[in-house]
Amino acid sequence: MTSTSFPPQPGTAHRATPPPAAHDGRSGRAGADGTARTLRVGPRRPGRQRTAYLYLAPALLLYTCFVALPWLHTMWLSLFTWDGVTAGSWAGLGNYHQVLTDPLLRSSILHALGFVVFYSVLPIALGLLLAAVIGGRGGRRYPVSRTVLFLPQIVPLVAVGVTWKWMYSADGMVNQVLRAVGLGSITRAWLGDFTWAYVAVGLIGTWVMLGLCLIIFQTGIQKIDPSLYEAARLDGAGPVREFLAVTLPGLRPEIGVAATLTMISALASFDVVYVTTGGGPGDSTIVPGVLIYRLAFTNGEVGAACALAVVLSALIALAVAAVGRLTREKS
Amino acid sequence: MSARTSRRPARTAAMCALLVAATAGLSACGGLTPGGTGTSAAPTGPVSTALPTGNATLTVVSSENSGTTKALAEAFHAKHPNITVDFQYTGEDDYNKSLNLKLSSDQAPDLALLNKLGTTVKANLVRSLDDYAEAYGWDAKYPSTELDQWRATDDGKQLGTGHLWAAPAGFSVVGVYYNKDTAAKLGITPPTTRAEFDAALAKAKAAGELPVQLGNLQGHSSFIVQSVVDATDGAAKTSDWVNGKPGATIKTPGGTDGATTLAGWAKRGYLPESANGTDLTGSVAEFTKGKGLFLFDGSWDAQKIDKAAPGKTGFLTFPGADGKATGIGTSVAYAIPAKAKNPDLAAAFLDFMNTPEAAQIQFDTGFLPVAHADTVKGAEGGVMNEVAKGWAAVNKDNGLVNFFANTDATMGDTLTSQSQQLIGGKIGPEQYLDALQNDWTKGHQ
Repeated sequence: MTSTSFPPQPGTAHRATPPPAAHDGRSGRAGADGTARTLRVGPRRPGRQRTAYLYLAPALLLYTCFVALPWLHTMWLSLFTWDGVTAGSWAGLGNYHQVLTDPLLRSSILHALGFVVFYSVLPIALGLLLAAVIGGRGGRRYPVSRTVLFLPQIVPLVAVGVTWKWMYSADGMVNQVLRAVGLGSITRAWLGDFTWAYVAVGLIGTWVMLGLCLIIFQTGIQKIDPSLYEAARLDGAGPVREFLAVTLPGLRPEIGVAATLTMISALASFDVVYVTTGGGPGDSTIVPGVLIYRLAFTNGEVGAACALAVVLSALIALAVAAVGRLTREKS
Repeated sequence: MSARTSRRPARTAAMCALLVAATAGLSACGGLTPGGTGTSAAPTGPVSTALPTGNATLTVVSSENSGTTKALAEAFHAKHPNITVDFQYTGEDDYNKSLNLKLSSDQAPDLALLNKLGTTVKANLVRSLDDYAEAYGWDAKYPSTELDQWRATDDGKQLGTGHLWAAPAGFSVVGVYYNKDTAAKLGITPPTTRAEFDAALAKAKAAGELPVQLGNLQGHSSFIVQSVVDATDGAAKTSDWVNGKPGATIKTPGGTDGATTLAGWAKRGYLPESANGTDLTGSVAEFTKGKGLFLFDGSWDAQKIDKAAPGKTGFLTFPGADGKATGIGTSVAYAIPAKAKNPDLAAAFLDFMNTPEAAQIQFDTGFLPVAHADTVKGAEGGVMNEVAKGWAAVNKDNGLVNFFANTDATMGDTLTSQSQQLIGGKIGPEQYLDALQNDWTKGHQ
């Protein structure tokens, strides 16, 4: 089994040596690499290894208590029929059977996968474009627009949902703008429309994620060696050619990071959908996150909710692994 | 690279060890079966209607924040100065999630608001109030539809029968608000029969007015459907369905009427185009701006409506087939936890709810009174007075029916998604009723 880092660590993900420890500002010292090496092949030096675990202990303890154990607990609960209060009864894999055969669940997973377009593909494409314009050639231009575009990231998602619910309402901003430009005939209550509600909710995701992608890409561009741009320009490359030949390849790890983060948001989306449509109209915007919440807190089917949560996290892990593989740097 | 791969088995082994340790740890603390800590037996013993003579504190936990319980507590304290009421408020979401834990702890309160009976009753966390109902004569003082909402079988599944688990402290009722200006302009008098109601709708449509304002983003069209069902089938029959009585069905003449009515109104343009994308608050705002002749909504919005459009709104109960008044509604209700330390005192506070004094407090803070509805008075010309009149009529005819959404845990979501599809023309009345009945069957197994 080869390693698939989670999350992928750009740049260091697939280098056999030196190990990350060698980067801790000690790489200038002759012995540093050697020391790190000794640590890596630890089993030969048990004493050393024990000391290393001592350093790891606080973080490991926290991680175990607040991440690993609750996660195991969720998996355990998914094997029970339990209402959250009275004694549960063993259900084996019954909950998994239930969630995998439920048509509502299948459509919810399809919706979540579709949101990848709105949460990942669109923001990354737009983000790349904007980063090339705003921060191309190693520049730091347009700080104001950069800040404005990043703003959605610092607003809590619930507030984002409430705001957009108003904007999409029958007399909301979106329709007012449409009427102002003479498109009054296509106005509607967007979140109540069977055709458009899904797109409307998806675009909120694009709006939120764009700022994040932009910031990541811009940071990445600043790391690209300016001499490459210079060389490209000397070779007579225009802005488009320069973007395709220098910026895009140079941003490969950043695209990986952005894709990972945004795909997790897309598949695990909850807040925005819950606040704006609650899954409606009908079930046209239902996502697994909302279903998990409903099962656990409304329906009192904690076991089924946990089973769906486990399935969802497996799906996310798969997606993230795929992104990691696709954006890995070739050595 | 070889060092890396050779370390894998060791790491895997360590992970396995951790897993085993974790599982063992889980089983050590509280057993591996979730919720299997055992439930307490229901308390028994004589009850008393006498109040303590010394100083005593009554602790109340609640998610009600209209100030009703607080005002009632102050009035109770004024009447009995030796008794202090400690009122603890928690927001509804958190409250519902933490209630069962609170009730099973050793610091259980003396009174707890119940939003739903369900698991709380099933887990024996509250005591049966039958003894107190007998001691205080509540059965004679309350309309049976009021108390029946808080009766349930011991597993908490079927309502309206079995022990009494909570007592009401103030009601909300759903009826039909109407715009007096629009009605006067069109020459419409408040309809008292279904035929008159339908005629008013047609008249409004013909005059270019929106007949019915509605926000269905969260499924509030169920108010329309249920009003029709209640009025057509009668309160007793509909209550059987809402309460989960075995064999009950929504596929009755009333159910068909309700679903067909909603679909028909949508088709004929009696409802706003944007209904599915507007929430209840949005529809109330539109209504007070003059858009819509009728609005199906609860008494909780009466003060808001009066404030936005003073003196312009009337209220009526949806006209029934037999001339009897029905209303959709339920109450804020308090239960006595099984672990309460002062159950007798708690029951005395509950009994205080049906006094004329409590009635005025409940009314002033936005609820309809538990008893003495004919004695309460609101601001002159306010719609709340008309709501109170409707409420008194509903009680006189024993016409109160609990919300469809309360019949089981999932019905609210089903009503929302199905009605959106019905209004959107994606499904027909038949499929709508099938979906409701399927949910009901699943929820009452």
